This record gives sequence, structure tokens and C-alpha cells, in this order.
Amino acid sequence: MGLAPPIYLDHHAATPLAAAALRAMRESEADAWANPASVHAAGRRARALLEDARRAVAAAVGADAADLVFTSGGTEAVATAVLGAFAPGDVPAHVVTTAIEHPAVTESVARLVARGAAVTTLPVPGRAPPDPASLDAAIRPDTRLVALQWVNHETGLVFPVASYAAVCRARGVPLVVDASQAVGKVPVAVGTLGASAVAFAASKLGGPHGAGAVWIARDRTIWPVLAGGGQERGRRPGTPEVRAAVGFGAAARGVAARLDAMPRIATLRARLEAGLLVRGAVVNGFAPGVERVATVTNVAFEGLRGDVLVAALDLEGVCVSSGAACASGLPAPSPGVRALHPDAPWRAEGALRLSLGPESCDADVDAALSALDRVLARLGRGAISAS
Amino acid sequence: MNDPSAPPQRPASGPRIGRVVVAMSGGADSSVAAALLHARGLEVVGATLHLWDASGAAKVGRCCAPEDREDARRVCDHLGIPHYVVDERALFRERVVDPFVAAYASGTTPAPCVACNQHVKLTRLVALADAFGATHVATGHYARIEYDADDQPRLLRGHDADKDQSYFLFGAPASVLGRLLFPLGDLTKDETRAEGRRLGVPNADKPDSQELCFVPDGDVGGFVEGQGASPQSGRIIDESGVALGQHGGVHRFTVGQRRGLGLAGGAPPRYVLRIVSDTGDVIVGADDALASSSLRARDVAWSAAAPSTPFEALVRVRHRHTPAAALVTPTPGGFEATFHVPQRALTPGQAAVVYRGEEVVAGGYIV
Repeated sequence: MGLAPPIYLDHHAATPLAAAALRAMRESEADAWANPASVHAAGRRARALLEDARRAVAAAVGADAADLVFTSGGTEAVATAVLGAFAPGDVPAHVVTTAIEHPAVTESVARLVARGAAVTTLPVPGRAPPDPASLDAAIRPDTRLVALQWVNHETGLVFPVASYAAVCRARGVPLVVDASQAVGKVPVAVGTLGASAVAFAASKLGGPHGAGAVWIARDRTIWPVLAGGGQERGRRPGTPEVRAAVGFGAAARGVAARLDAMPRIATLRARLEAGLLVRGAVVNGFAPGVERVATVTNVAFEGLRGDVLVAALDLEGVCVSSGAACASGLPAPSPGVRALHPDAPWRAEGALRLSLGPESCDADVDAALSALDRVLARLGRGAISAS
Repeated sequence: MNDPSAPPQRPASGPRIGRVVVAMSGGADSSVAAALLHARGLEVVGATLHLWDASGAAKVGRCCAPEDREDARRVCDHLGIPHYVVDERALFRERVVDPFVAAYASGTTPAPCVACNQHVKLTRLVALADAFGATHVATGHYARIEYDADDQPRLLRGHDADKDQSYFLFGAPASVLGRLLFPLGDLTKDETRAEGRRLGVPNADKPDSQELCFVPDGDVGGFVEGQGASPQSGRIIDESGVALGQHGGVHRFTVGQRRGLGLAGGAPPRYVLRIVSDTGDVIVGADDALASSSLRARDVAWSAAAPSTPFEALVRVRHRHTPAAALVTPTPGGFEATFHVPQRALTPGQAAVVYRGEEVVAGGYIV
């Protein structure tokens, strides 16, 4: 609560708007208000902005622009891919997901279950992604959909989605991939991935909230989740938020630079993790040899609660989180970390997520560790003398 | 009342006030408490303990409902202070709800608000204050803390006798009492609301919650059954042992209860006098048979060293009971109280709190 700007280490919740995105959104304001579906000149200008943004996003994820549907964000993109895979009244007999999904996936799948679908939830044995063979084994003759994430939002675990896609293609089952945390952190090329639908969120890569997209394979039909007009080729009714899409497009043009920064961020994460470990933390969701993205670490201090640490660190001017940010402000032990560490519930109760972005630097990490020292000292957990 | 604009950096005495964690339920009292401290120029941090998941129709307008968390957050936003929600559901279940169910299932009447303050709220809030680097914890209770000649904190009744909540707070050790601030202790409820309006507190006129926060519909019997308890069923008998009827479970009765006995009408009305949990017998009788002149209390906490000799004091046997004069005799682990005038419906499981003047000197549970 001091006057200094906070140290921001919560980039998996939201990452600052990229300068180019902010600029593009400001510049678009004179035209973005119009309805891009209108035939007149004002509509044409808005449509030009929207389609330019679509091409930029498509280029960043290796897609054909015609296959991208703009949504209001990652959650709607996932819902469109999962719920929109079924015609109204069509109840899938069986779907497959995993135990560490974002609520956007978990709750969309839960909707299908509420309608009568059976679900198989793949575990994460040994803190590793489900083996493609275990996915193959989980698919039944009546399986209608597999829905899972590319990069875990809490721990950074990278799923081998290309292998999953191969399994799903071989078994003739559509695969929905939630790539919200993947873009800008791992190379994404949906055109060759082999999935049936892939969901994206602008706000995780330097774009604004209120913008997302779902890529839909040419051979898949999507039934719109909302009822309304025929926008987005009949796949997402409602007038698109052109200004947010413009920001999304501009941010997407920076994806290559974000990827280029990953080695530097990996070094920074190593510094951060070393500092946390020497202060008594354990890293959640870590297994040797299992790929993680470089931008995040999820730790726990035995006997200390994650929600309390998040608040105490906030009062020291450091922004981190204990799990997925929730609109109700209600913290609860992370189901994902619990699934990763079923034998150690304290790891979920203590989960503390620190996530890095392109602007993060050594000074941020050092300041966060100093703040943590002050908090730990108050809790009688003096640091093991850090180097 | 104190001038709220004055900047006292100490309570009457005790440690200097630095950062203060205010426990915020989302109700008017705790919101105004936060606003008053903030108006004094103190650094205030709001904290809401999430204790219970309200479900179904109970979700609206009750403690721990999402709406209440939103109200607490709204007040903190209004004041420009941080607000945090801390999950204490597991502790609340362990220390409040499970004992509550067990007490009813064994034919006694628990005091969950006392248990909550003793074992959940005050202890967790002080731990939070430690984590947050705060010197003090403030709540919206109508009670007061004063410091004696040795600078030891003493718990006193709230100024407003009608709202006094000191009954719920006995048993806090000096290490906790010395960290507490009760900004409403000198106010009446009306004054609290007036202060809230003066300070622009968004929910200053929110109605008080009346029922238990985790049983918002007031159906305690249904709640106990829903928690999987299987209380003893049995007979309803009169004082001479004559069976008057049957009942489905001792948890549906409390001493002094008149309604819901399922007995044929007729005068004089009959009241629950005693519950025998072993047999499931519920003994009923006339109103005057409810009066008793003495009680024994167990699990007693003394504010200082337990006295060695009997003393005259006032004893409160339930919330809103007017404390009654009694001779209090310390016993090993407890006390006995002999009332000057017999008291109605002394209820096993309820707290008996001993006051000397305005000060809470002891509290325990009626045997």
C-alpha cells in the first residue's frame, strides 16, 4: 500500500496491455464504434479493423483467418468449442477431460454432464500430463469429445497436445484445446495441430480483456452458444467488440517477441524459484523432465495458507495469486494443485502462484523475495539465510 | 461517545495502534467499525472470514453469502482500503458446526456464536494480523476493552445494554484482548447507523441478520438432521413420569420451549424442563417449574487468576438475558452460581458469563 507501484508477478491472471495494443485501440476509436456488419462506409471501416485484427491473430497462431471466430474472451471461446460442438438437444454420451483444467473447461464439461453426458477425468500421475496412451484408453466407442488445455494456468505444465490430437484423429473423436495460456509461451500452429477447435484469450498475451477467439477446423460444425444474429459466419451471434479485437490483433503481432523472451524469462524464473526454495518453499506441479512454460512457478510453504500469503504480500506491495483469480474474491484450495498432489493437501491450501511477463526483471524478483522475507519473519519463519 | 475525529493512537491504554485488520462480515456494524477507524486516520485493512457456504435459497442476504462478501468489498472500496477474503470453512466446521450438531444430538443447546468467536474468529484474526503486520484487530462487536492499573486489558459490556455482545466474547486471553479494538463499544445501534450515514458507508442501513449464519431459515432441527446426526427419539413425559407422547429426536427440543411439543392443547401450557439424552425422554411441565436458583458451569475461563473464595456478581445465562445477581463459587474447572432470584430456563450447553460491574470476569458452559 506504499506509494511505489506494486511489483506485479501475476501475469497468468492478466498481463499489462502491450504498448502497441493500447496504441492501436486508441487509434481505432474513431472507427471501431460502427457495426462491422453494416454495408455503409462506417461499417466498412469497422469491418476493415476487425478483419485486420483477425488476420493478425490468425498469423500468430498459424491459422487461416476464416477459421477464427472472435469471442468475448477465453471462457466464451472454450464454451463455444465445448458446448457448441453439440446441436441443441444432442446429449453426448461420453466426454473426456483432465483433472487440472481451468474452470472454463471444467464447468463447460460440467454443463454437458448436467445434460446427461458421462465424463472421464484423466489424472495427472506423477505430476506429468496424461500419457497419450491413457487418453487412447479413456476413449470409448461412444466418446464424442475430448477437452483439455495446452498449458496449465497454475503450474505451467505443457500438455503434449499434438500427440493427443493424433490419438483423437485416429479414434475419430473431436479434440478441443484451451490454448489460453499457450500463445506467446510455446509455439502455436493450429493449422497443423490436428485439433477440432482451439480457444484463445487476448488478455494473456498483452491484449485487452473482452477479446478472445476460437479456431474451428473446417470439418467441424459449431452450434452457437448464444441465440442471435448471424455474425462470425453464424458461429457467434452479437456485434463483435471491434476495439478489443483491434487490441487483440496488435498484441498478437507481438507474440513472436514474447516467444523470443522465453529464455530470459526462464532464467528469471530459475532465480525466483531458487529464492523461494531457500526460504522453505516446495514447487507444486514439478516433476523432473516434465516440460513447463517459463512464465510461472507455483509453490507452497508447509503450514502457511496461500490466501493469507497473497494478502500479506499485497500489503507489502507485491501482486501474486493463490490460484485462478475468481470474481467473487473467494479463495479456495486449488483443485488443480490438489489433483497434482493428492497425498499432500497442504500444497493446495498453501498454493502461491507467481507468474512472469515480458516486463519482469531481476529487480522484481528480488523485491518480491524481500517482501516475502518480511512476511515470513512476522510469521516466525525466518528465511534460511538467502545468498 | 468519543469524538471519532480525534486521532487517538492508543486505546485508553495498551499498545500503540499501527495497522488494523477489521473483520468485515458485510453487515452494517463491521462496516461502520471500519469506517470509524479509517476516519481516525488509521491504516485499516478489511478481512472477511469465509466460514460457510450458504446454499439454496439461503444464498441471498445471509452471512457468508456471496452478496455479503460483495458488500464488505464495496465498503472497503468506498474507504479505499484493501479487502481480503480468507477461507476458514474447515476450521468453522470443526470448531462450530460439528460441535453444534453433536450438542443438539445429545439433548443440549449449544452456543455456536461463542464457539465461533473463541475458536475461529478471534484466534484467526489475530493470526491474520500477525501475517499482515498489523498491531490490532477490530470487530463490530458492541463491547469494550479497557486497561487496568497494570495495563492489562479487561473486557467490558458494550455501552448499549440492548446490543451488548460481551456475552459472546468471554474466554479471550489477554494476549488476544490486548490486540482487540471495538469501535462500536460506546455507541448505540442508532448511533452506529448515524455514524455510518455520516461517513457515507454504503450499507449503513442494512438490516441485522437474526438467525444463525449457517442456519438462515431457522430450522435447526432440519439442519441437524441434514448433517447426518441421528439423535435419540423417545417419550415426552411429565415430571411424575407419565408419558404424554412420542417425539422424533431430542435435537428438536430446548429447555423452556413451548411450541412443537406435539401435545394436545389445554391449560396450563407445558414447557420443556429437561432432556435426558440417554433415554431420549423429554420432560415437560408448567412454566414455574422452569425456574432454578443455581447452575454449575464447566470449561470456565477466568479473565484473571480464578478467585479462591465465593463472590457476588451478575451472571448472564443467555444472550439478551438481563444479568442476574448471584453468589459465584469457584470450583475446580468451573463455578457454581446461586441466584438471589431463581432464573427461568437455565439451559445446558448455553454459556454462563459472570460480570463484576461492567467487566466480564469469567464464562463457561451450563452443565
